[in-house]
Amino acid sequence: MKLKNKKLSKNKKSGNPLPADQSKRLLLKSLGSAGIFFLGLSSKKAGAFSLKASPVKTNVLRPPGAVPEDIFPSKCIRCGRCVEVCPYKAIRPLDIRSGVYAGTPLVFVEEIPCYLCMKCVEVCPTGTLRPINQDETRMGLAVIDKHACVTWSQELALCRTCYNVCPFKEKAIKLDELRPVIIDKYCTGCGLCVHGCQVTQKNGKKAINVEPIYAFRTVKW
Amino acid sequence: MKKPPTRYTPIRIITLTAAFLLILITPYLNMHFHFSFIQGWFQSLSIGNLWFVSPLEGLESILTSRSIYGPLLVGMLIPILLALFLGRVFCSWICPISFLSELIDWIIKLITKKKFRPFGIKLSRRILWFALIGEILLALIIGAPIFVFLSPPGLVGREIMMVTLFKTVAIEGVVVIVVLLMHLVSKRMFCRYFCPLGALLALIGIKRRLVMKSDPDQCIECGICKKSCPLGLDPQKGENLSPYCWNCGKCSEVCKASALRFVWKDL
Repeated sequence: MKLKNKKLSKNKKSGNPLPADQSKRLLLKSLGSAGIFFLGLSSKKAGAFSLKASPVKTNVLRPPGAVPEDIFPSKCIRCGRCVEVCPYKAIRPLDIRSGVYAGTPLVFVEEIPCYLCMKCVEVCPTGTLRPINQDETRMGLAVIDKHACVTWSQELALCRTCYNVCPFKEKAIKLDELRPVIIDKYCTGCGLCVHGCQVTQKNGKKAINVEPIYAFRTVKW
Repeated sequence: MKKPPTRYTPIRIITLTAAFLLILITPYLNMHFHFSFIQGWFQSLSIGNLWFVSPLEGLESILTSRSIYGPLLVGMLIPILLALFLGRVFCSWICPISFLSELIDWIIKLITKKKFRPFGIKLSRRILWFALIGEILLALIIGAPIFVFLSPPGLVGREIMMVTLFKTVAIEGVVVIVVLLMHLVSKRMFCRYFCPLGALLALIGIKRRLVMKSDPDQCIECGICKKSCPLGLDPQKGENLSPYCWNCGKCSEVCKASALRFVWKDL
């Protein structure tokens, strides 16, 4: 009791009084989030009853040849072979905080993009990454934000970094009056353009981003 | 008098060390020299084009995703055949947890200078089967192969890879520490009661060909075999023929009357 009083008076002295129940609130908050974590552990799909969604989002993609997110966590045995074989260290495993997605591989293309060496698809023992060719890879689709891209939003700007770095130049990306245009039929979603893009918006996105539109297909049995 | 039986422990320790060195060195070689001839660890390992996949993880992947992938089955073939003929030998001769446990035992022996460490906790051995059933059921309910989160043999390799490649340690590594602490409390507690992989290998190896056979005529009933068994089995009661035995050969080695020998059982 004495200690508590001392603490309170100390707070008053320093001039920014802390509410007495703040620590309690913090405890409740952390308990709540722990509860959410455990609920998330037991839920697979991002549906009405689950609180844990897939970690795949813009610029955070699965390695090449990945099966849809629907069955990814159930098929992948988290052996980490793709992580080990990746020569660019582009593939990183998630840890246990990601619930059912723990241990599954992800490519953070903003940091290190996929160079499409196709080594990971060969070593996957479970067929979670299917053995496919370079040009068949569909990690996502690059989308240009025309409000952020300097060649689209400004009159006298000349930047074609995304065009220069694209491994499928003139196929997946073309220049329309010196402005880049994505051809969705050929874009592999490797993220080299995201990695190269010089513009970073206020929300942390680049002027060109890879959206994982293929990861959320539903699986038919 | 028959000739004294072969000392299996030195051979076993060499095998364990070699298996541990394999998973210790390959991530480093892969990272710095792009040496991809040997790759992976005991969840999935490839030597050249030869694949090994841990049977339990493979089985769970098939069950939870409800689909069959040919290469996965081929990868599971050799471990399953090994267990079918030799029993649970992966556990005692290859598993990195076994290596670490032996290392701990050796250190304890150096400190205490006692030959045998008493068992702390003894539970019913049937818990092992419930661990396997519970594991598979839980994996099916959650819809993801969960053994991978708490599979100590695989985790050791993964942690080594994380340390070499990313210079960090994943949180799951706590599981390895917990398992080793359990070993400190009671000899091989996790292996004896809770390891689903061990349970699956034991189940496959129920009718194994290689068995430790005891000769009741030679037995002098000194009970040293029971004391030395890391799993707490009693060969005098015939428990060496039970599915729990993992064919490490320790009892054969300590037996003064050389009444225990490995036998290739004919069908």
